[in-house]
Amino acid sequence: MAELSTPHRRWTPARLDVRLKLALLCTASLASLQMQLYGLLGLLLPFALLAIARRASLGARIRELRWVFWILALVFAARALFTEGAPLVSLGPVAVTRQGLQEAVNACLRLALMFVLGGVFIGLTPTGEIKAAVQWYLRPIPGVPAARVATMLGLIARFIPVIFAEAARTSEAQRARLGDRRRSPVGRLATFGLPLVRRIVLSADRLALAMEARCYSELRTEPELAARGRDFLAFGLGLAMLAVALAV
Amino acid sequence: MAAIIEIRNLVHRFADGTTGLDGVSLDILAGSFVVLAGANGSGKTTLLRHLNGLLTPTSGTVRVAGLPVAQNRLRARMQVGMIFQDAESQIVGETVAADVAFGPENLRLDRCEVDRRVAAALAAVGLEAAGDRRPHLLSGGEKRRLSIAGVLAMQPQVLVFDEPFSNLDYSGVRQVLGRMVDLHRAGRTLVVTTHDLDKVLAHADRLILLDRGRIAADGDPAAVAAAAEAFGVRCPPLAAERLSWLN
Ligand SMILES: Nc1ncnc2c1ncn2[C@@H]1O[C@H](COP(=O)(O)OP(=O)(O)OP(=O)(O)O)[C@@H](O)[C@H]1O
Ligand SMILES: [Mg+2]
Repeated sequence: MAELSTPHRRWTPARLDVRLKLALLCTASLASLQMQLYGLLGLLLPFALLAIARRASLGARIRELRWVFWILALVFAARALFTEGAPLVSLGPVAVTRQGLQEAVNACLRLALMFVLGGVFIGLTPTGEIKAAVQWYLRPIPGVPAARVATMLGLIARFIPVIFAEAARTSEAQRARLGDRRRSPVGRLATFGLPLVRRIVLSADRLALAMEARCYSELRTEPELAARGRDFLAFGLGLAMLAVALAV
Repeated sequence: MAAIIEIRNLVHRFADGTTGLDGVSLDILAGSFVVLAGANGSGKTTLLRHLNGLLTPTSGTVRVAGLPVAQNRLRARMQVGMIFQDAESQIVGETVAADVAFGPENLRLDRCEVDRRVAAALAAVGLEAAGDRRPHLLSGGEKRRLSIAGVLAMQPQVLVFDEPFSNLDYSGVRQVLGRMVDLHRAGRTLVVTTHDLDKVLAHADRLILLDRGRIAADGDPAAVAAAAEAFGVRCPPLAAERLSWLN
């Protein structure tokens, strides 16, 4: 909201209108399925350079994203081992083929591009704006209560950290009374799961009351989104880059 | 001064048969600062929830500014802003500013007015620099002030505080109390429940004691406080001298 309240803040690519950003992200995901090695490399290159330029915080980021590398490794292995073609190295019944290697590299680059673009999008866009964009795209679809969906999205974004916090609190309270000495998974489920669900339901109840007290209605002030000339220019530039990447 | 809230023979029975309120009659004058005290389970929260129609009376009526709440819930909710006992569970927005905007957006104000009110409400509680922060990362006192801002942005005539000082440290209490006193000076009506008479007594102009769903005493704060111990509320020492926590 604070972003929306200061419309004359200096424009940067990061402040590109959220609907166009979302459209660009979707187009890029679809286009990347058709891209080959050089196209993918070309799109990833600017991000890699940017990452190197800001390497100060990179170490911690990479440690946070360990699981991404595991997924990439898994995809690579699967593609390399199970693609038909001329074998390069054989490992018993399976063989690493030339085509397989090519496929594996492409698949990994595609996935990496997805992660990078998705991460950049989420990092640069306040949740409130994403919510507003989803509402804007859903509005023309008949039968879809766009405002309600947007409110739900906002509540989910708000609730996920609460659920983790509640889980941590429940677990702490039980460990303090040696609850972790129970070994049976069924017992665990009953002593940990049930109180946790109860607390979450209770806090959802209280939240519903608080929303009612503040006059919640689906007819609300609409979020304000504005795409200006520069937004469309940046959007066009993004599309052109994708087209070039598809062509090479 | 005219009564802004009129309660007549209010009875509330919960679904499981527990009696929450048992024949409460009460007028609250516009611009007054009323403290509602009583032991745990005496019915304070239940009474507050009738003021904006979150609960429906089993019998009896509640009127806000002359109109019965049961038939005019939306209007009652616009006039009576409620700050809940648990600040955490009333946060709706993903950011501090989005949370404060929630109420004005429900009132369908235009975007400029929403932004203006959000800025003013955040400034009023000293959170103007926190607009982009995540609410669940705020401290307890900041969360409480955020929930006050969320209600202020709707500009209600009456503000209802349920245990506003629970879990607050000394400076947190002073911040919240300071805002309450400012609001009272600005002409708003305040209804505050608390176990800690000590913190508000100096600023209140009326004290009501609840006991098992009934009004046990009602009147001048110093005089009623002297009788409080009999109903499970600690009478602060030197109640008659009305020492403020703000000095
Ligand atoms: N949803 C409910 N269902 C059944 N009984 C309830 C419910 N909510 C409250 N009660 C009961 O109604 C009575 C009044 O509760 P209320 O919450 O109003 O007390 P309170 O004065 O606010 O107490 P506290 O100081 O602990 O906040 C209590 O006996 C309580 O057990
Ligand atoms: Mg209560």
